[in-house]
Amino acid sequence: MATAQTIVLPGDKISLSALPTSPNPNKPLTLGPGLRHIPPSTITTTIAGALVVDTRKNATWVEYNSGRYTPSPSDLVIATVHSSLTEAYNCTLTPHTPYATLPQLAFESATRKTRPILAPNSLVYARILSCTPYTAPELTCVDPSTGKAGGLGPLKGGMVFEISLGMARRLMLGGAKGSVVLLEALAEKVAFEVAVGRNGVLWVHGGEGAQGIKITLAVGRAVQEADEKCLGVKDQRKVVEKALKGL
Amino acid sequence: MSSKAVLSHLHRADGSATYSQNGYTIIGAVNGPVDVQRRDELPEEAAIEVNVRPAVGVGGPRERHLESLIQATLRHLILVRSYPRTLIQVTLQVRSLPEEESAGIGSVLTNSSLTLLPHLLNTAFLALLSASIPLSTTLTSAFVVITSSGKLLYSPSSTDILRAQSIRSIHVFAFSAQRSLLLSEGEGEFDVEEWEDACDLAEDRCCRNAGIAGENMDVDGEVMNLADFLRDVVKEKVVKEQKWKTAP
Repeated sequence: MATAQTIVLPGDKISLSALPTSPNPNKPLTLGPGLRHIPPSTITTTIAGALVVDTRKNATWVEYNSGRYTPSPSDLVIATVHSSLTEAYNCTLTPHTPYATLPQLAFESATRKTRPILAPNSLVYARILSCTPYTAPELTCVDPSTGKAGGLGPLKGGMVFEISLGMARRLMLGGAKGSVVLLEALAEKVAFEVAVGRNGVLWVHGGEGAQGIKITLAVGRAVQEADEKCLGVKDQRKVVEKALKGL
Repeated sequence: MSSKAVLSHLHRADGSATYSQNGYTIIGAVNGPVDVQRRDELPEEAAIEVNVRPAVGVGGPRERHLESLIQATLRHLILVRSYPRTLIQVTLQVRSLPEEESAGIGSVLTNSSLTLLPHLLNTAFLALLSASIPLSTTLTSAFVVITSSGKLLYSPSSTDILRAQSIRSIHVFAFSAQRSLLLSEGEGEFDVEEWEDACDLAEDRCCRNAGIAGENMDVDGEVMNLADFLRDVVKEKVVKEQKWKTAP
């Protein structure tokens, strides 16, 4: 991204020339976060950030990295179980927001007799099934089409680290696109499990025992450092080297 | 006039900003959208709560008055309908006041609550930007003083006010990016023409000029357009957030 970015402030009108033009006339324009369509044809911004245009997807959105997580459907999140009802668990995604409900049967191969028992404060890696401004978000741990977990479910052991929402998005984008080499570089030397929640939560499990805890802390802190300092690929490798030295 | 702003420096708040100008320093923090108490809940829109905390002591009627003015202004700025049944909490802590004001020398300054208002509004807006709350437009606010000789002073520092001796009225204005007047508060004696002059002066300094950016710079480059200042602050924020894209 060497090109100059368009900085937008709330209320800026996006001119028609700045919008992506798709070669396919049937493909509608997609407006991402931070943009608002005022009929008939005015598009204004609602959030301060950098305007991003994707011509291939015929989409445009505002990129920003601050504020509170607002749930949106099909986001992968790490939820904390708060309490159990008869049919569902109450989970928290972010502090001081309404509880998200996770039905007790929304786990892989769960039946009325065999369903996972989650104690309060245990962690779940889940997908947001639905959420509207008027209802609490609903979570699920299975893929509705296949009925398989696909990596979702209760997270056992390990530890959570808070990261910024932008870092969570970068980690989910993967190595090349989000320019994070941190986890891959660490994984070459040590073994650990991670789960990234869109709600700004990173779960790391480095294994059992004293060495496992050391690995967990090293990985979590390395990601947090790269997040706080907004490190590029080169500086991330330095962080990895430093982290590995301590193990 | 030298304005300074720092964004997102408080870790526990969703958004925060410190804004300082002319000896006024205010810390603003925004939390939201969060759970709302049942009695404050609005079925169709987000409730906005503003807390103003003075530099010394606890708040009184003066702070409550400022809170209600700020709340009414922000309500039209925030897209409250996108977060129904939630709360957006804005806390503004006055950290320092100009020496003259806290010492109680300038009688106009200490008696009027209006001199603080534009700074509170600017801080609240910056904190909302930092919290990425959806907003319909930007806000810039300034105050104009009319002296007894009929001279207009734009955002005078407290020493300027003391030097001007007698002051007839104080006006606070807030403008959106589209140059519409969002708030106008006046105190003292004035007529309509004077008010219009004051309003024009404030609009000129608050809003972007249609012409070349930076045209409003004074000869010594001291007075900066508030809209340009806002854009600079956001630019700094974006550059800081996207450093990883350009970093080696």
